[in-house]
Amino acid sequence: MKTITTFGLLVLVLSMTFGGVINNVYAEDDPAILLKIAKRAQDQIHNQISDNSSDKVKGLFEEGAQKVIVLEEALKNNDYVSAKEYFLSAMKIFKEISQHLTTSDGSFNVESQPASKTTRDTSKDPSNDLQRLQVYVDSLKTIAKRYDAVIDFSELDTLFVKARQEINDNQFTQAIETIDTIKETITELNTNLREAASHQESKRATEYAQKYLEQLDRLIENAKKQGVSDEIIEKLETAKENLSSAENPSDIIQEIRKIMSIKDQFELTKNDRLESRVLQIEKTLLRLSQMDGVEQDDLADARYMLQRIKQNLNDGEFETVNELLRDLAKQLEEIKKSL
Amino acid sequence: MNPIIVPIHRKEILVEDGMLFVRTDGILETMVKAPLIIAGLIVVALTMPVQFSFSSTRMLDLTLYSDGSAHISTQIDVDPLEPDFEVNLFGPSIDNFVVVGENGFLLSSEIIGDKATIDTLGSSSVTIDYDIHDLISKDGRFWTFSLDSPITYSVLMPPNSIIVGMDALPSSMDVVNDQIKLELGTGLSEINYIFSAPTISATPSNITEQPIIDVSTIALIGVPIVAAIAGAIIVIKRKQTKFLPVLQTEETPRLQIENDSIETTLNEINFSEAETIFNFRPEMREDDKEIIKFISNNGGQALESELRKKFLQPRTTMWRAVKRLERQGVIEISKKDLQNLIKLKKDLEDEE
Repeated sequence: MKTITTFGLLVLVLSMTFGGVINNVYAEDDPAILLKIAKRAQDQIHNQISDNSSDKVKGLFEEGAQKVIVLEEALKNNDYVSAKEYFLSAMKIFKEISQHLTTSDGSFNVESQPASKTTRDTSKDPSNDLQRLQVYVDSLKTIAKRYDAVIDFSELDTLFVKARQEINDNQFTQAIETIDTIKETITELNTNLREAASHQESKRATEYAQKYLEQLDRLIENAKKQGVSDEIIEKLETAKENLSSAENPSDIIQEIRKIMSIKDQFELTKNDRLESRVLQIEKTLLRLSQMDGVEQDDLADARYMLQRIKQNLNDGEFETVNELLRDLAKQLEEIKKSL
Repeated sequence: MNPIIVPIHRKEILVEDGMLFVRTDGILETMVKAPLIIAGLIVVALTMPVQFSFSSTRMLDLTLYSDGSAHISTQIDVDPLEPDFEVNLFGPSIDNFVVVGENGFLLSSEIIGDKATIDTLGSSSVTIDYDIHDLISKDGRFWTFSLDSPITYSVLMPPNSIIVGMDALPSSMDVVNDQIKLELGTGLSEINYIFSAPTISATPSNITEQPIIDVSTIALIGVPIVAAIAGAIIVIKRKQTKFLPVLQTEETPRLQIENDSIETTLNEINFSEAETIFNFRPEMREDDKEIIKFISNNGGQALESELRKKFLQPRTTMWRAVKRLERQGVIEISKKDLQNLIKLKKDLEDEE
């Protein structure tokens, strides 16, 4: 039995340890794509080189092409270390050639670039501006929806259609004017949206201050137990009063910054990590309680556990808090999975 | 001869001419308690997620435009105890900056230089979107994108761009609507590109290949799995429980239900639905359109894991894409066997 337990524990440790590594495994290199990129670059460079190109360019190209060949060989032999080296060398050479070709007037074969004109004209073509603004407006629409804000985007939508049409018709000057109008309209809408958001922000700030006050109570209680000087306790009490009376978000932030400064000054930050975890867990619990299909008994258990955690934080039982937090996190994860 | 072990705590006084015998073959067992080490490792393993949980970038996606600008979308975990959070932007030339908290609420922010101070007010994660003009430089026809990234990130190259130089090794590559999308690692990376005629004729399916996984990777993943399976078999055999029949009986109807529902949906949704969605949402991102096409071709529904596999996207990137499409009202997300099932919405008008 002891052997099985030890074995089980070993497996658990291995899987948890390597669990972290598996994320990195995703980021491990996929050598096959190196060849694709290198070959594409090679083909492109090859198209650009003409008989008029300098011997240096031609020589470099031969060198680069050779690197691609050995890269392919290395990949066939599963020699990924060499493959990576060859890839980087090849790309370095192609970069050098490309730089040389694009800055050297005589050696660049313009005829081999039939579609380059369209991309060269981007300073006049405002497509990208329009694209970026569309992404931005999409974000604003999503936010407006989140606030149930009555904001009329129809004018903007019409302007986007108009600008798109103007770009399609190569009427770039008109399109730029329309885009300017879009920008002005966005500024107005943004103001309306910020107004709609400000009420919610005040509410969130007050809720956050309330949570922070709870945490501050625990901190003061612990500080008293640990025999922290009356002067520091008094400072914390004053800061607490100031925070309680703060109303708007900027005042709340300012007061909390002052409290943090006191905590830093007197080295009272050692429980902050646990407090942050408590806040996170509390948020998860709140989210779950707003979801359908969650067993009320499970939520009640979780809430009871959270109360125990806070009580233990009050009592300065930090190891117990750590354990309970971990248990509660697991419990909440189970609830999430059961949905 | 049996050696005598003299425990230290006995503190027996040895006779002056005596000899101390120490049994060396069991010294490790005597001195080091294996369960203690394992318990220690467990504690280390358990505390790892806690250590990395605050103020860390979770996701970073870049879209490069052909005029040398770029769109950045990033998700950062922040400390919920902090009232605000200062984030380093990738440059000072910022446009269209939007930051939302975990609930999708707009957060106030102030940008000074290449730093933004965000009033998080207890949020534990923020999603930041902005356009930037500092990442790409141009020399003649030669463009250079450069980024020093704190995490693995994805970059969608501009249409018709051809990479002609790079000093970093991409971990994956995909083609999204004729645009190359690369996954790059942490640290400084530089990509040089030029614009050309559209030369990419290959479809995503034939461009994207199965990644070549080296032996060490297989070993790294395989060994713990094999060990776990072996352990499980031993435990099961010893306990002689009846878990297997239970699993089998549960599995059959589940698969049956799944097949039935897929068949039903296939009949209900035809392939032109993707076009309807694109007409409904003309502003939809090109990579999102690819996702819609795939779901449509898959009978109108797909598991999120299938999408990740198809588009070779990290979990967070795909989740953001899916959530984006949900917000646009073109898909709905439901749970199926603990997995996210993504379905195309039939009634698009409702979301308008």
